[in-house]
Amino acid sequence: MKSNIYNWFFLILRRDLLIASRRSSTYITPLIFFLIVISFFPIALSPDQEFLRSLAPGVIWIAALLSSLLAIETIFSEDFRDGTLDEFFISNDPSFVLVFAKVLCHWLVTGFPILIASIISSLILYLPFNSLMPMICSLILGTFFMSLLGAIGAALSLGKSAILSAIIVLPFSIPTLLMGTAAVASAIDYQDYSGFLLIMGAMLAIGIPGLCLLTVEAILLNYE
Amino acid sequence: MNKMWNYIKDWFIEMGSPPLFFKWSSKVLPWLIFTTIIIFALGLTWGLFYSPTDYKQGDVYRIIYIHVPSAILGQSIFMFMAVCGFITMVWRVKISGMLLKAAAPIGASFTLLALLTGSIWGKPTWGTWWVWDARLTSTLILFFIYAAIIGLHSSIDDKSKADRAISILSIVGIAIIPIIKKSVDWWQTLHQPSTFSLTSAPSMTPDMYQPLLVCVLGFYLMFALLLTMNLRAEVIVREKNKSWVSKQYLSEDK
Repeated sequence: MKSNIYNWFFLILRRDLLIASRRSSTYITPLIFFLIVISFFPIALSPDQEFLRSLAPGVIWIAALLSSLLAIETIFSEDFRDGTLDEFFISNDPSFVLVFAKVLCHWLVTGFPILIASIISSLILYLPFNSLMPMICSLILGTFFMSLLGAIGAALSLGKSAILSAIIVLPFSIPTLLMGTAAVASAIDYQDYSGFLLIMGAMLAIGIPGLCLLTVEAILLNYE
Repeated sequence: MNKMWNYIKDWFIEMGSPPLFFKWSSKVLPWLIFTTIIIFALGLTWGLFYSPTDYKQGDVYRIIYIHVPSAILGQSIFMFMAVCGFITMVWRVKISGMLLKAAAPIGASFTLLALLTGSIWGKPTWGTWWVWDARLTSTLILFFIYAAIIGLHSSIDDKSKADRAISILSIVGIAIIPIIKKSVDWWQTLHQPSTFSLTSAPSMTPDMYQPLLVCVLGFYLMFALLLTMNLRAEVIVREKNKSWVSKQYLSEDK
């Protein structure tokens, strides 16, 4: 029984990663989008070093949120359109695992490039070196939570416009945004940032079971 | 006791059926309108004309009799919606989904009213229309969540499906709203000490908060009234092809 679920999980994960790897736009687009958004801030506001440093945590986090939601509607829509999702839900294997595997794949494909891009942009925005670690940690936790939230938005707006899922998801992403920027900002001031990361971790720990189950419910709405 | 419980249970089951709800609400509605107007008029006249003037703010503070009840309503309607959403998801009660749908615009309006009256109040007392204070920010986010729920419902054509979609969203909302509130509080204390405090006025005298309590009650009654009227409209639109609607309400037209 145990091995069955694991096999099923890795099967989905491998399949989705394979599809993503064959289409380079899935992981290059968020990266490029992230860097473009970041580079707009010095151009539009001011290239002053001190100013950019104070702005950096917020700018990086807003860019990360937007680019992780950039292609979120594709997480289910293609499988829904060609009927693969129907087959997955008809099969006896748990759909909860399916959703989790898909979210994990989405995070690996978009969250990971964002992490690399954020390291580059921390140089562009003169972020001090000591805040690099909290930034990476908070982005790992935060973008995963965004992928979970985005999955529920994508499931609810399946077959609708992509902008709808962004409107649904963005108000709910505010705690992530606040905690993430607070962690980086307090590291810049040499303060303790572990509390913010712990809260983000707790949100993720509740979010993985809770939001995955609700996403299953949301997908099932389309099969009535 | 047991008899009482059975009676309540039967009443709830009966209210789940649209025709019985419609019949019952037709009887209740005039009384509801009557009491709402009485309580509302009582609270507002007491608050606006007979309560004492604030020694610091003068008569400006009287907007509290609109502002505070609408802010309370904005939050408690969301809780009501989450309960409806839970009932819709678990037991698939048709009418609770309609209740959820009917409550959403009312909650959004009350939240917007709280924001607007707040900024009208803020201009003379704080000197600005808007401050990024923790409470103001979380109320604004609450309004965005209401907007997301209403937008999602209107984008799905099949209305019973749309009900269940927004019930999922309202359950996510009720889980995340406390986190938003707490995190906004922390954010405030982290970045800057709050310039203004909403609770800076000395604790109110009974002369001031008694009318406020009446106003809160009046607003709750207003919500019940608007909800019943919205729900009746919703029921009649959704069930327009059913025989009970045409028998009772449409036969006269033909």
